[in-house]
Parts: sequence; structure tokens; C-alpha cells
Amino acid sequence: MMEFLHKRHARYFKFCMDSIPGEYTSLDTSRMTLLFYAVSGLDLLGQLDLVQDKQSVIEWVYRQQITSELCDGDLSRAGFRGSPANSSGAPLNQWDCSHVTMTYTALATLLVLGDDLSRVDRAALLSGLRALQLPDGSSLSSLHGGESDMRFVYCAAAVSYMLDDWSGMDREKTREYVLRSMRYDHGISQGPLLESHGGSTFCAVATLALMGELDSALTEQQRDGLVFWCLSRQGLGFNGRPNKQEDSCYTFWIGASLRLLDAYQFVRTDLLREFVYSTQDPITGGLSKWPGHGADPLHTYLGISGLSLAGQEGLKPIHAALNVSSDAVEVLRRAQARWRDLPPVKAVD
Amino acid sequence: MPAAAETEPAPPSMFEEGSVDDPDWVPYGERPDWRDVQPVPQDDGPEPVVRILYSERFIDVYDRFRALLASGEVSERALRLTSAALELNPANYSVWHHRRHLLQALDCPLERELEFTRQMIEDHPKNYQVWHHRRVLVERRGQPGDERRLTEIVLSQDPKNFHAWQYRQWAVRRFDLFDGELEFAERLLEEDVRNNSAWNQRYFVCNNTTGFTSEVVAREVSFCLQALRKVKQNESAWNYLRGVLFQSSAGLSGHAELTEFCDGLLEAGCRAPQLLAFVVDASAERAAAGDKEALQRALRLCDELAAEHDTIRAQYWLYRRRALAKKHNIE
Repeated sequence: MMEFLHKRHARYFKFCMDSIPGEYTSLDTSRMTLLFYAVSGLDLLGQLDLVQDKQSVIEWVYRQQITSELCDGDLSRAGFRGSPANSSGAPLNQWDCSHVTMTYTALATLLVLGDDLSRVDRAALLSGLRALQLPDGSSLSSLHGGESDMRFVYCAAAVSYMLDDWSGMDREKTREYVLRSMRYDHGISQGPLLESHGGSTFCAVATLALMGELDSALTEQQRDGLVFWCLSRQGLGFNGRPNKQEDSCYTFWIGASLRLLDAYQFVRTDLLREFVYSTQDPITGGLSKWPGHGADPLHTYLGISGLSLAGQEGLKPIHAALNVSSDAVEVLRRAQARWRDLPPVKAVD
Repeated sequence: MPAAAETEPAPPSMFEEGSVDDPDWVPYGERPDWRDVQPVPQDDGPEPVVRILYSERFIDVYDRFRALLASGEVSERALRLTSAALELNPANYSVWHHRRHLLQALDCPLERELEFTRQMIEDHPKNYQVWHHRRVLVERRGQPGDERRLTEIVLSQDPKNFHAWQYRQWAVRRFDLFDGELEFAERLLEEDVRNNSAWNQRYFVCNNTTGFTSEVVAREVSFCLQALRKVKQNESAWNYLRGVLFQSSAGLSGHAELTEFCDGLLEAGCRAPQLLAFVVDASAERAAAGDKEALQRALRLCDELAAEHDTIRAQYWLYRRRALAKKHNIE
């Protein structure tokens, strides 16, 4: 396939925004991420105009917010849910709480839609973040029922960066957790001693970058080793671990890591493009993880944002650490400027 | 034991009541003994987006799940409901959490639940929640079941399943089950010497048992060379080799056996990119100690890698060459 099926992918995302087929019930608590992929995907494709009623989408996102009012004193649950699946209205049931990945994708979605984040209960949200960080520096996904690893460290860092407030995160501990997760091959894993992996590598590198510590945290040897580990992921496309199959999502995870490490110029974008194009589904639109597997929103978005890093024509440039368009980052800057004029908010313990 | 409703037979166990897919599954909405529970429909607002097109059974079950979350009911029927909810969506972490809450409140025997968890893991080996659930239960219990055997079974179907490896590392470390773990990694490498996860596990064992003493380093280097003799272009083995050597003061270029091995391969005409990359770094190490011949070798190999043997990373190798030359003040 020598062509990028731009319009077909836009149609795919537009379709996703309306409904997802029944077999995606496993994503019932993660609908916010699906929304993010679709909305931000349309934005990168320059087709956000296909979202006819942006305000109603914004309303849906804000409906998932757990504000201090709803919390009734216990701010540790504040932030955004992924969906209303486990909610039973007010007062909140005992497990109704936010999920950090959903908070990140909610904020990102709002920015892409041009919302100024004025309805985000920042103080409560930061308290919610603080409640998720563990003594070892890693982060839980939510208060009730989850594992802790680099994915959630990244989401917490992205949220802190967007809110321009790090009072919800102990940065020193975060940095230590990231460094302890760098492996013998200089790739970075989900946690200490686990296998290094493209996804966790991005999460770690982006976290350091968002904290402004990417240059200071790594020694020259670590940085060189990390760059080479990332570059070694390329065959045609990128894989996520040595001796594993190439997969379109690493177009972003590895590509963005290299971009943040100032090493993207070493990528063979011609080969990468060839691979990503081959994962396109010409009938439904969208991208699959590898040729012929079947498209899904995650791989479609990460393949496309990955192509943006490769300078693909017709795609908006992205902010490599936040994984949104630079237009969305403009909206963020305006919101941040407005907050600076307001009295400061602090995470409440 | 709960008193059975008059119009319904006693359920087969307190834990579950058959599959939602069974032809004789009765929706909760049609059960007399559930009449007291007002279903709580999902409140998706006036204009939902990314709607999931749930089946009727899904809605029936989850409307009751939400109702029980709201009421906080602790009962065996609530526990059975979570089984149905998990069958429909094993990724709903709140259902799992609620289930654990109920198991504890009802003081349920953990054995049965561990069996249920094992089943779920075998059915959904790449699901985060099932592994987490088992971990919490085993922690609660304070002693392992057959944790290694479970991960071994899963790994026999997918030897690189990240969840299985992560869980295995946790269990091995938590309960000090390192005995035989090195052999396990070795066995998997015999089946597939390119299994990066198995190489990582080997490092994990050494790190947490003997540490990287000079004997261990020597042993691991030999093990690597054995593997590399089988498959030269094995990135996992070369990465492991470098990782192990990093633990030794002799560095990349201070092991005679290794230097001979690399020279031997080069002389035999092997131009595997990972071999050449290794020799570049080993030579750069010697160059830093003043070895001019080693420097020339490193520069030459960078050129060869860029031109012929690792063209995908040509730009990188040219950059390496420039950096090396600059460091040693050459053109």
C-alpha cells in the first residue's frame, strides 16, 4: 500500500465517536481513552470539523469529573472517570473514583476541543494525584483496585504538566523510580528488574522530559545506550522489545522517545512509513497493529501520531511528550496563562 | 448458607451460577428473588459519545451491579453477580475490587477463589486485572499456591507474555522461590534462544541471588557465547552480554575468551550488525585507553556498518564515527 488513506481514517474516527461495536465491552471503563483517540486523531488529520457538536462532547467529558463537591471531603478520589459504568449517581458509591489515565485523556480531549479547562477542579484533582503515588515513586491508576507501574507515572506527570502544578507528585521519588527501571540493555521497563519495553520507555522518557529533567537525570552512557536501544527497535517499522514482531503503536512510543532524546534524525522514516501504510485497513479505515490484523482505535491513533513525528504531510505536528497537536498545546498555554493570574491552588492533604 | 427462594433451585455454589452464555441463563430482571433490587441504568447523559453497543444481558447484569454498589449490599448473591459481571467484562477493575471486598466481608475460603482466578487467567492471559486479583489474594493468604506452575502454563502458550513474567517475578521474589529459576530461564532459552523475556529473567535471578561476582560474570559470559554460537544475530544475547560485562571491572574489552570469540567470528566472515556494534564499543573502550589501532578499527567498522551491514541505522553509525573522531581529534 503506497498511499496514506487520510479520508478513510478520518471516517473511521468519526464512526468511533458515535459508537464502538459490542465486542469492545472490555473497554467499557476506558471509553475516555477511545474518545481521546478519536478526537485527537481527527485533529491530527485536520478533520476536527467532522465533530459537529463539540460542546456536547465537552459536556460528556465533564460529566465524568469527580469534583470536590461530589467528593464530600475525601478528595483522594478526585479527577476524571473513564466512563459512567461504575457510577450510581450521587452520593458516590464506595468505589466511584477517578482513574489517572482517564484524567490525562480527559484533559487532553478538552484541550483538543478548544475548552479552556475552567471547569476543571484543579485543587481536588491534584489531591487525587497525590493519593495515587506510592512510597517507591510509582503510581497507582486509581484508589481502588489496581496495579502500579510506569504507565500511571506518565499519566500523573502529563496531568501535572498540563495543570502547571507539581504539588500532586513527588518529583524526586518519581525520578528515582524511573532510573531504577532502566535495565541492563538501557531500555526502560514498567518497574525495576522487569523486561525493558517500548511503551514503558516512552512513559519514562516523557515523564523525565515533562519534569524538565531529561538532560540532568541520565548520564551520557545511559542516554547513548537508551538512544541505541530505541533505534534498534527498527526493522521496517518499530517493535517494542528485541526479537518481537513490529507493531504500529511503537511508531509513536519509540518515535516520541527518540524525538524527546533528540535522536529522531536517525530513524529511517521511509521504511517506517512503508510499514505503517501496510497496517492500514482499506475497507474500514484505521490501522491495525500489523498488516491484516484488524483496525482498532489505539493503533490507529498511535500509528498516525507516530507518522506525524515522521513529518507526514497532511498531519498536524504533535507535542511528543503529551501526544496532542501543537494547536492543542496553544489552548493549554492560554489556560495556563489565565491560571497564573488567579490565586494559586495547592493540593490539599 | 442462604435460604433458597421458594421458586428457584439452590445455586450450585456461593460463587457463581453458570455462564451468562448458557441457554438457560435467566436475566436478573426475570428473577423473583431479585425483585427487591431496583436496576440502576448507566447514566450516560443526554448526548453520549463513543457509545458501546451493549447486549441486553450486559445491561441486565450491570444495571444490578450498579444497584448493589449503591446499596452496599454484602451477600452471596452479590458475589455471584460479580461472576456474571466479570464474565461479560473481565477488565472492569471496580467489579474485581468489589468482589475482593465481598470475599473478605463474607469471610470466604480463598482456595475456591484461587481456582476461579486460575481459570480466568488461562482464559484472559493478557488482562491486567486477573493477574492483579490473584496477587492480592495470594498476598492476603500469605503463602503461594502453585504460582510458578501457573505462569509456566501461560508461558508455554506465549513465552513472552509480559503479565506472566511480571507476576512470576513478583511471586519468586515475594516467597523466595529462586530455586530452579535459573534453570527455568535456561529451559526457555533452549526452546527459543531469542526469547528476550527469558534473558531478562536470567538477569533478574543473578541480580537477586548471587549478585554479579566475577565467577557469576564468567559463567554468564560463557553462557552467552554458547547462545551466540547458535545464533549470531541475536540482539537479546548481545544485550545481555553487555549488561553482564557492565557489572565487571574488565569492561567490554577485558575478557580474553570474549575478545577471541569476536575476532574468530570476524575472521570467519561474520558481519552480524550486533557483533560489529559490540566490537565498535569494545574498540572505543580500548581507544580511550590510548590504543590507536583500536580507534582505527572502531572508525572503520562504523563506516562498514553505515555502508553495508546495518544500513537501517546508517545515519546513527556515521554520527558515532564523527563523535569518535572528534573525541580523539581526528578528521
